[in-house]
Amino acid sequence: MKFNLELIKNKRKIIGFSTILILLSLLGILYSTFNTSYKKPINLGMDFVGGNELRIERICKEECSNFSPDSVLENLRENSKNKNLLNNIKLQSQNNNKLISIRTPYLSIEESNNLISNLDNIIGPLNYESKDSRLIGPKLGKRLLTNSVTSLLVSLFAISLYITIRFDKKYALFALLALFHDLLIVFGIFSWLGIILSVEVNSLFAVSLLTIAGYSVNDTVVIFDRIRENLKSKKEGYNETIQLSVNESFRRTTFTSITTLIPLLSIILFGSYSLFWFSLALSLGIIVGSYSSILLAPSLLLKD
Amino acid sequence: MKRRQGWLFFIIFLLTLSVYLLINYPLQLGLDLQGGSQLTLQIIKEEGKVTRDELEAVNSVIDKRVNNLGVSESNLQTLGRDQLILELPGEQNPLVASRVLGKTALLEFRTQKEGSSTDLKTLQLQRLSIKELIEQYSFAEKSQNDDNFLKVIQDDLKDIERELNYSSTSNDLYGKLIEIKKYVDKEITNLFIKTDLSGKDLINAGRRQEQTNSNWEVLLTFSNSGGDKFAEITKSIAGTNQLLAIILDGESISEASVGNQFASTGITGGSATISGNFSAENARELEVQLKGGSLPLPIEIVETNTIGALLGSKNILKSLYAAISGLIFVGIFMILNYRILGFVSVLSLVLYGFFNLALYSLIPVTLTLPGISGLILSIGMAVDANVLIFERIREELYEGNTLTRSIDSGFQRANSSIVDGHITTLLSCFVLFLLGTNFVKGFAATLGIGVLISLFTSLNCSKTILRFFITYQSFRQKNLYLPRNNFSQ
Repeated sequence: MKFNLELIKNKRKIIGFSTILILLSLLGILYSTFNTSYKKPINLGMDFVGGNELRIERICKEECSNFSPDSVLENLRENSKNKNLLNNIKLQSQNNNKLISIRTPYLSIEESNNLISNLDNIIGPLNYESKDSRLIGPKLGKRLLTNSVTSLLVSLFAISLYITIRFDKKYALFALLALFHDLLIVFGIFSWLGIILSVEVNSLFAVSLLTIAGYSVNDTVVIFDRIRENLKSKKEGYNETIQLSVNESFRRTTFTSITTLIPLLSIILFGSYSLFWFSLALSLGIIVGSYSSILLAPSLLLKD
Repeated sequence: MKRRQGWLFFIIFLLTLSVYLLINYPLQLGLDLQGGSQLTLQIIKEEGKVTRDELEAVNSVIDKRVNNLGVSESNLQTLGRDQLILELPGEQNPLVASRVLGKTALLEFRTQKEGSSTDLKTLQLQRLSIKELIEQYSFAEKSQNDDNFLKVIQDDLKDIERELNYSSTSNDLYGKLIEIKKYVDKEITNLFIKTDLSGKDLINAGRRQEQTNSNWEVLLTFSNSGGDKFAEITKSIAGTNQLLAIILDGESISEASVGNQFASTGITGGSATISGNFSAENARELEVQLKGGSLPLPIEIVETNTIGALLGSKNILKSLYAAISGLIFVGIFMILNYRILGFVSVLSLVLYGFFNLALYSLIPVTLTLPGISGLILSIGMAVDANVLIFERIREELYEGNTLTRSIDSGFQRANSSIVDGHITTLLSCFVLFLLGTNFVKGFAATLGIGVLISLFTSLNCSKTILRFFITYQSFRQKNLYLPRNNFSQ
């Protein structure tokens, strides 16, 4: 099994493809900033803006009866002391009407308990053992957002520093380009997911970006190492040596990505719902990261 | 040929130790796995940063209150410089805890200003009518929206507002009622002058039911100096028409007159009762707050997470499925591609799992959902190192080297790039652990620990296991290490 990626021939195509991906991501981010209800580059979830999220199961003998979310909401509003808080309430049902999920602006614990007991009266009985309730105050949300952005910047800075020390300028520059390319594309994909499917990002998304950064640089470092090593020892031309090095490390880069993707896929398939988007973001990051390490970063090194 | 026997015994020893640790020190599960509530308390300070001493002081007051509440197995810890995290396992309602913890509970004793009796009487009457309105309101709520009734309450409230010359800003009726009540309580407080007796002079608090009706009262026990101060204050107003007010967080909760019989000595005995129409619950909450002392800085509950026990156990099961299926599929992938070598990496992975979990119970690391995802993700990264090594070994074998030599140089040459490659991941983990929230820290900790342990298992353990295998003749055929169709290259 020898791989023969024609890097030299396809340089333009690879760079073109990446440019398109980046433009699409930027388009998503711009569209999201100006043309959505939330006016942010990405649909910020409850962790960052505060609010109340409740998931709870109904106890049903056989099948859970149908209900209309609107009439339940109407009922909830009538029974609530604080009518204004319930203006922005969203209610969904999943699993054949069994699982109810509700989103509201921030509520106090007391208000949230009232909401649940009212819900119990309308479509109960509810199984309190299955409850998953999160209340985040707007102040904390802001703080989490600053925290996430800071940790992202700090770790990007640390990684950049590490690469600059370890490689000479040209290599460092391209490795970093590949890194920002990966992060931008994953960010862009989630901007689009926010626009189309109203997927929200929470603090775990920031974590996934950080992890992707570490992982993607790791792959690029290995390939650049190989290139450097081969440039010293091999007698072929500069471009050919780069292509050869990429083909030599192709197996190991794809294999390590696959072995990391397999556990992530099992979390996506079998794991708890709260880890679904997190694992998806990580998987996307690893796929984009391996692409940029194998194809994009070395192509940037090629001479015309 | 060295069998690396020393290492082999060391690894077997570590494995036994891990199993022993896991049996005797079970893993600590986070609330998202065992069910329960978690509250994040934010210390509020208008100017400047919260100092270490202030954080400590708040922590100890909250700790006392939690203990006095009788919450079982609760866990309180500080987070960063100005936050506290309180965990209440099981099905304990966070509502009571939030009510008791959220209040500053600053207790003051004040004496009435001279010549304010008429003002006070008016305010007391207004307070009484608002209390009645609040009762009527909750009654109207229960009886499914009697609109006329609510209208009457609204009109009455407007009358009171006019009398007070104050207009409420809340949006809904209930909020307005509460707001006006607070306003009146504060106005009453303003008719009283501070004394040097406060909650600090208490040594104990208790509660009992009043004999004449079903209301509760709260008993205060003063320290020696506090008792003296109390006697002094009561003596100064005994027999006059000035009242003594007990004020909690700036709002008067009770006003009482001191009888003429105390004019010579004041009320001695070092104790007092507050009877302000407490329900059993209110009395208990006040008791707990007073016992714990007042908070040096106000706090706010900024986050509450509640997970049902059933959901917790479902989460454990799901994580277990994910971890095991991840392990099995990674194993299959490795064995298909690397034969014996793949099998070796599976064995190292199993070791890796045991060492990881044992370390969690040793440090200890509380396992949460993000923590488990860090662990599962690190399985993939642990195999990474093996892939690097095995690829090198394959290359060496293709070049026609002997098995032993290929293995040796495979391990040697991959060494540096493995250590190197994990540095960036460790960097990210480090930043996450420093700056992240509690939730995020779990992920950073397990992933970081995982990456470190994987350096040991995939370098040392797999080498030792492999060396052990090739001491047997039957494991020394090259085609057990390379897919056959490629071997003749």
